[in-house]
Amino acid sequence: MKGIVFNLLEGVVRRDYGDDTWDDLLDAASVEGAYTSLGSYPDQEMGQLVMAAAQALKLPPEQILHWFGRQAMPLLAERYPIFFTPHRSARPFLLTLNDIIHPEVNKLYPGASTPVFDFDSNSDEVLVMGYRSQRKLCALALGFIEGAADYYRETVSFEHPLCMHRGDEKCLFQLRFIASHTEP
Amino acid sequence: MTETQASLEAELARLHKRLKREASARQEAESIAERGLRELYQRQQEIELLEAIAVAANEAVGVDEVMAFAVREICRYTQWPVGHVLYADCQKSPSCMVSANIWHCSDTQRFATFQVLSSGLEFGTGVGLPGRILESSKPAWIMDVRADPNFPRAPQARLVGLKAAFGFPVLVGAEVVSVLEFFAEESLQPDGRLLKIMGQIGTQLGRVIERQRARERLLHDAFHDPLTQLANRALFLDRLHITLSRFKRNKNYQFAVLFLDLDRFKVVNDSLGHLAGDQLLVQVAQRLRACLRSTDVVAHLKADDESERWAWDECIAHLGGDEFTIILDDIRDASAPIRVAERIQYELVTPFDVDGQAVYSTVSIGIALSSTGYAVEEDILRDAAPAMYRAKTLGRSRWAMFDQMMHNQAVACLQLEADLHRAVREQEFRLFYQPIVSLGDGVVRGFEALIRWVHPRLGLVSPAEFIGLAEEIGLIRDIGDWVLQEACRQLSEWQRAFPSEPPLTMSVNISARQLNQANLVGRVAKIVQSSCIAPGSLKLELTESVVMSDAERSCQLFQELKGLGIQLSLDDFGTGYSSLSYLRRLPLDVLKVDRSFVSHMDVDEEKQNITQIIVLLARTLGLTVIAEGAETEGEVKQLRELGCDYVQGYYFHRPMPANSAKLVLQEQLERLSVGQA
Repeated sequence: MKGIVFNLLEGVVRRDYGDDTWDDLLDAASVEGAYTSLGSYPDQEMGQLVMAAAQALKLPPEQILHWFGRQAMPLLAERYPIFFTPHRSARPFLLTLNDIIHPEVNKLYPGASTPVFDFDSNSDEVLVMGYRSQRKLCALALGFIEGAADYYRETVSFEHPLCMHRGDEKCLFQLRFIASHTEP
Repeated sequence: MTETQASLEAELARLHKRLKREASARQEAESIAERGLRELYQRQQEIELLEAIAVAANEAVGVDEVMAFAVREICRYTQWPVGHVLYADCQKSPSCMVSANIWHCSDTQRFATFQVLSSGLEFGTGVGLPGRILESSKPAWIMDVRADPNFPRAPQARLVGLKAAFGFPVLVGAEVVSVLEFFAEESLQPDGRLLKIMGQIGTQLGRVIERQRARERLLHDAFHDPLTQLANRALFLDRLHITLSRFKRNKNYQFAVLFLDLDRFKVVNDSLGHLAGDQLLVQVAQRLRACLRSTDVVAHLKADDESERWAWDECIAHLGGDEFTIILDDIRDASAPIRVAERIQYELVTPFDVDGQAVYSTVSIGIALSSTGYAVEEDILRDAAPAMYRAKTLGRSRWAMFDQMMHNQAVACLQLEADLHRAVREQEFRLFYQPIVSLGDGVVRGFEALIRWVHPRLGLVSPAEFIGLAEEIGLIRDIGDWVLQEACRQLSEWQRAFPSEPPLTMSVNISARQLNQANLVGRVAKIVQSSCIAPGSLKLELTESVVMSDAERSCQLFQELKGLGIQLSLDDFGTGYSSLSYLRRLPLDVLKVDRSFVSHMDVDEEKQNITQIIVLLARTLGLTVIAEGAETEGEVKQLRELGCDYVQGYYFHRPMPANSAKLVLQEQLERLSVGQA
C-alpha cells in the first residue's frame, strides 16, 4: 500500500487525537511507523493500525476505515489541490478517480495492484460506481466518497447493494449527491 | 520552576520545532519528487501513445486501418468511451465531413443510436464539431455538447449520456482530410495539453494519408499517359484482358475495340510544331471522353468481383503518337461500335483551337468485334489496326470493321437504317390489301392491310426485312400509326362505296413493340374515331407468341381495346404456346390458323387434324376462324369441310394495291347484283 495512505492516517489521528495518540497507535500495532509518500508498505501494517485503533476505540474496523477516509479528504485536498480544483462537485471528481490513482501508483511502482472503479453515469441523479480491489477496502472508499462530498459542500446518500465482503464479485455503490444549502 | 526544568522545556520546544521542520522538509521533498515522477509518468504515457501511433502509421497497409488503431488507442489513453473518424468528402464543393464508419465504442449497444445518427450526417464547414475543425484546421473542445449551440447531435448525445467532446484535424498541407472526434460521459474542462498531443497525432496521421495519395499518384502515373491523362497501353491491355476473360466465360457477352488514328496529325506536327500537336492530342482526348461519357454503351461493366471493376473513362486509352483505343463493353450487336465511331467522327468535325488557330482533325477508326473470336488481347489490337488502315484508304473520317463480311453487313444495315428514316419522312410506304373470303358463299368480306416499302432503288421491300429494324431504331410507332390510319381511311372509303351487311372489315397487324407502347389504346381510339368507320369493322391482329409472352398484360390491354368496340384476332395460331386458360380469358373474336398448317393440308393428315382441332377449339370458345395461305383447290375444299369460316390466300387473291382491291369489290358488286336480279 502506498505511503500516502499511511501519511493520511497519521495526519488525521494527529489532528483529531494528538501526536501522542499516533505514537501509541504505532506501538499498539507494533509497526515501525516511518512512512514516506514515495514508498510502499505492506498492506498488513495498515490492517494492524486499523485493528489497534478499533480496539482502542471499541469500534468495528469498517467504521474506523470509513471515518479515516472521510477525515482524510481535506488533508488530501491540501496536499494535492491539482486533483480537486478542476471540479465543482464530487461527481465529476469521482469519475476521475482511476485517472488519479492509477498514475499515482504506477508512476512509482509500475504494475502495482490498484483499485479499479467503474461508473455508470447514465443517470444525472444516481451515480452507479463499481469498486474492485484485492484489499476489499470498500469502507475506506465510501469514507473517501463522503469526504469528497464534504469537500464540495455536498451531502451524499449511498446504497451498497453488492459487496465483496458478502461474496460479490465487486462492490456496487449507488450514490446520490445533494448540494448543501450553506454556501462557502 | 527550576532552571533545569526551564531549560528542558526550551530544549523540548526546540526539538518540537526541529521535528516540525524536518517533517515539512520531508513533505516538500516528497511532493517535489512526486510532481516530477507524475510528470515523467505522464510524459511516458504520451510518448507511448505517440510511439504506438507512429509505428502503426509506418507499418500500415491502409489508411482506414491506421485510423481505427489511432481512435482505439486514444480512447484507451484518455479513458473516453467513444471515438469516431470522419473523412472529408472531396467530391463535394465546398467540402464537408462524412463518417468513415470507423468507431471505437466502449459499449456498442448503448451508443448505437448516436453512432447511427453520426454515420448518416454530413458536416459542412462550421457545422457541429467536425465542421468547426474543418473550418479552423485546429483541435476543438466542447465542455458539454448538450449546452453547445452548434452541436446538431445534441439530442442523441443527451439520450446516450455523452457530454464533453473534443476533436482534432488530420491535415495534408493546409487541407483537412479527416477529423477524429471523441466523447466523454461527463462535462469536462478543456485540456490544452491533451489537445496538443492530439495535434501531433493529427500530423502523424496526415503523413499516412499523404503517403497513400503519393502511392495512388504513382500507380496512376504508371498506368496513364501524362499528356492526355488517358489510360496508357499497359492499362488498356489489362482492361482488355479482363474484358476478354469475361467474354470467354460468357459468350453472350459481346464487346468491340475501336482503334483510332488522327488523319492529319503529321501535318499539324510538321506545320505548327510538336507543342501544337500535343495540344491537339489533349483536346482530342477531352472530346473522346465527353463523347463517350454521354454514350450508354461504355463502361457499364457489371463486375462480378472487385478486381474487375474500373472507372468508366478507363475504356479510352492513348497508346502513343496519334493512336487511341476504346473498349466498348457489353454491346448487343455490331451496330453499337459503328454508332459510337460515327458519333466520335461527328464530334471531331468541329475544328480545334490550337493557339488561336483552327485545326481540323478527322479520325479513322478500325473496329474489331469479340464475335470474331479471340484468344488473347494482342490479337484484337492486331486486327483493329489493319481495319483502321483500311478505313484510311477509304478516305478520311471513315471507319472499317476487321471482318469484311461483318463490315458489309454493318454497312448494309446502316444504309437500310438511313433509308428507313427517309422512308418515314418521304412517305415511301404503301399498303397492300389481301381479300378475306367467306368460305360459305365465296364473297369478299374484308381485307388484311399489309405494308410494303416502295424503295426508290430496291423496289418493293417486304415488311420482314424492315419491321425488325424499325422496332429497334424506334420508328415503329410512326409507321404503325400510319398503317392504322391509312387502312382505316381506305376502309371507310370502301364501306361507303360498297355498303354491305355486315360491313367490310379491315385487319391490321400490331407488332410486339407497338403493343408495349404507352397509350396504344388512346391512339387507336383517336384513329378509329377520325376515320368514321364502325369500330366493329376494324380487326387488330396480334401474333400468338407476342400475346402469350405476357399474357396477364395482354389480357388487360385487350379488355381496354375491346372497350373501344374493335375486334381482336390472334394471328399465326398454333405456332405459339397458348395457355388454354388465357385463351378463354382473352376477349378474342378471331383465331387465324397459321399458313404452315394450311399448306398441303389436303395431303397431310396431321395438318388436317391440327386444323380440325383449332376449328373445334374456336367453335367451343365462340370464335371465328380464318385460314391463312390457302393456295390450292384441295386446301380450300378441306377447309370448307372442316367448317372454317374465312380463307385468305393466293387461291382466291394475292395481296394487291388499293386500286386492284377496289376492282375486286366492283366486280363482286356487279356479280352479286346480277345474281340477285
